Amino acid sequence: MSIASRFEISDRGYVVEEELMDESRRKFINSCLGGVAALAVTGFAAVSYPVARYYLVPPDDNKSKGKTRIPLNAIAPGSAKFFEFNGTAAVLVRKQDGTLTALSAVCPHLGCIVQWQTEQQDFLCPCHAGYFTADGAVISGPPPQALSKIPFTVVNGVVTIG
Amino acid sequence: MMQFLKNIYNWIDVRLGTHEIITEKRTGYLLPRNINAWYSLGSVLLVIFALQVITGLLLMLYYVPDIDKAFDSVSFIMTEIPLGRLVRLFHAVGSSMMLLILLLHMFSILFMGSYKSPRELHWLTGFVLLLLAMGISLTGYLLPWNQLSFWATTVATDCVTSIPFLGDRIVELLRGGKQVGSHTIGRFYTLHVGLLPAVIAVLIGIHLFLIQRTGVSTPPFGLEDSKNQWKGETFEYEEHPGGVPFFPNFFLQDMISISLYLACFMLFVFFFPDMFIPSISYVPANPLVTPSHIKPEWYFLANYQTLKLFPSEIIGLTVQAVAMAFLAFLPFIDRGAEKHPLKRPLFTVSALGGILLWIGMTLWGYYS
Amino acid sequence: MRGWRIILMLLALGVMPAIEARAAAPQVIVCIQCHAALQGRLSLPVRLWQNSIHSEHGIACNACHGGDPMNSVNSMNPANGFRGVPPPTSVPALCGGCHMGITAYYTNSAHGRTLGQGGPTCVTCHGSHDIVSASLSLINKKNCSVCHTFDKALMIRKAMVKTDGMLKAIEKKITVLRSQGIETDPLEKKLFSLRNRFHAMFHSLDVTLIRKESAHIQAEIEKSNGAGGAGTGHLVGVLAVGWALLAALLFSLIKKNID
Repeated sequence: MSIASRFEISDRGYVVEEELMDESRRKFINSCLGGVAALAVTGFAAVSYPVARYYLVPPDDNKSKGKTRIPLNAIAPGSAKFFEFNGTAAVLVRKQDGTLTALSAVCPHLGCIVQWQTEQQDFLCPCHAGYFTADGAVISGPPPQALSKIPFTVVNGVVTIG
Repeated sequence: MMQFLKNIYNWIDVRLGTHEIITEKRTGYLLPRNINAWYSLGSVLLVIFALQVITGLLLMLYYVPDIDKAFDSVSFIMTEIPLGRLVRLFHAVGSSMMLLILLLHMFSILFMGSYKSPRELHWLTGFVLLLLAMGISLTGYLLPWNQLSFWATTVATDCVTSIPFLGDRIVELLRGGKQVGSHTIGRFYTLHVGLLPAVIAVLIGIHLFLIQRTGVSTPPFGLEDSKNQWKGETFEYEEHPGGVPFFPNFFLQDMISISLYLACFMLFVFFFPDMFIPSISYVPANPLVTPSHIKPEWYFLANYQTLKLFPSEIIGLTVQAVAMAFLAFLPFIDRGAEKHPLKRPLFTVSALGGILLWIGMTLWGYYS
Repeated sequence: MRGWRIILMLLALGVMPAIEARAAAPQVIVCIQCHAALQGRLSLPVRLWQNSIHSEHGIACNACHGGDPMNSVNSMNPANGFRGVPPPTSVPALCGGCHMGITAYYTNSAHGRTLGQGGPTCVTCHGSHDIVSASLSLINKKNCSVCHTFDKALMIRKAMVKTDGMLKAIEKKITVLRSQGIETDPLEKKLFSLRNRFHAMFHSLDVTLIRKESAHIQAEIEKSNGAGGAGTGHLVGVLAVGWALLAALLFSLIKKNID
């Protein structure tokens, strides 16, 4: 299947290869084809890199990168406050005895957001009924591990998470 | 490595008989000996269409078709996304290029008489493709929701009101309301990214099938007898014995034309982008303020100027409709056998006159 | 058949003036309706105003003269706020109501101290109806040598020339950048505020202050000069076009040798 030769059936039924061009020409064409292949590769690389960057950029949409501040008086004892932290859901729990815990509200099982149950003072994941204590430890259900803790500080009655 | 590729090729071939098809297409597909570079414009158009689809899909990743968010999403693409500006420019410049190359392709068909029997359907499908290309350009134009988009669309759809009895209702259908607004953008977006590209793709497929079926027409240049040989009694594939094989000979010509096109295209994209995106494109649409000197895109300038000449909108529209109809049904009107442009002076002079008139109206529209 | 609708839709992009007139015809206020039709000096203000920058931005008669612009009966009724021709002493406060930050400079300047005693007010230099965008050309011999010699005004103008030039250059640059698709909003806002600051502080007529402020403004402009630019774009462009041309060359060489 070369462009430099042609196969013909001669009168006696044999396949005959006919050289259509001389060596130097064939070499020249092959080097040109090599050049074309090189251009094709560089072209493809030159295009796929920008397209990949274009496609893969995660546009920032006003995600609160830094800290979230919640005043203590916004959260009553025995309740939990949900907020956005670093692009995902988080929760600040203030137990009946006043102690605070900041946890990720994303269930480690399959990613649903847990709900706070005021009567039972625990977390319930609505997807597959995973239960967590107010500190995030697994009570029952499919979650493989506890809700991860988030560091926080309390200064002058304001909780700063992160 | 080579053996591995040969094995794969063989595996497919014993199941689908691809070797037969490829060999037939390579060695069996012969083109007329006197074929010229104009015949490669079709492949250039295919490349342009492919580029438009790819850049369009990329734009769709970040564009939002909502009147409050559209303009900002386009600014976002232009400034925040890496190389978003390039993608948008490729798409915008590409749309103008599509129409330019389409017109060149059409002119070459006209002058070489390739529209004559038995190729009336090729011409008709091509004509519909021209209209669809204009339609997809018009619908795309609205999407950035800038002053130019909004007012060009308002004017374009307004003129439909001059149609007696049904005009107003048709405009409402087009716009999704009485004015260009949030429903218009939804409609135009659906047309632009969904319906029109699909219909264009199908029509391109039909157009290509027709060409393959009837065979490529022989150019009239360099021939003693450049008359159309078709008898019209039975179906006959136009053979070109002793002709040029498509692969690799004319395939290379296609590649040359595509490369030259890409060179011109990228010259415009990188060095003269403001020819295609004037500064008023960076002003968000304001339904209460019509900017002065608003003009449609270059490919509509001739129509725009023609309409300005006629005192009544409906007469202006009708005149243009008649002209377009004449063009569409040309193969049925021109039944002459002669294909060489110099041997059919009436046609050539009229065609040149028509083209010059179109260019003249375009320039007039641009400078007025 | 779909084609026809599209043809009609597409081909009929015209009759722009008619559409524009229909679409953008605002309601003309009664002041203009009446005064435009009168003769001589009573219609002169309308004609002057129509070429003004106020008219371009929709600031009409009632903005300065008060009255009801929608109702001819009450249009010149003092009970509806009509002020007639504002007395010179009230002009700075009237203009200063919209043009913030200038009245203070003016009041403390030599001009401000002559208010009510024949000295210049805003309208003396800027006109009352044919107001155009402020520029250095307002500081000229005709305007500034009525009461005193021109030399001091000339000195102030000279102190402002460089900054004025820089502001104009930035304005041009913004237009170019905008046409290349670069987001120019923050730059435009900065230019607007700098230019306002620049024009406002002129009214102090204090050469030293003007020189100091001009230096600050120039420093601000220098900072923004780095914004925008298409340097690397051109390099990539040359490479891209070169790549395509090289491909065309290679293909044509191959083709030549095959035919």
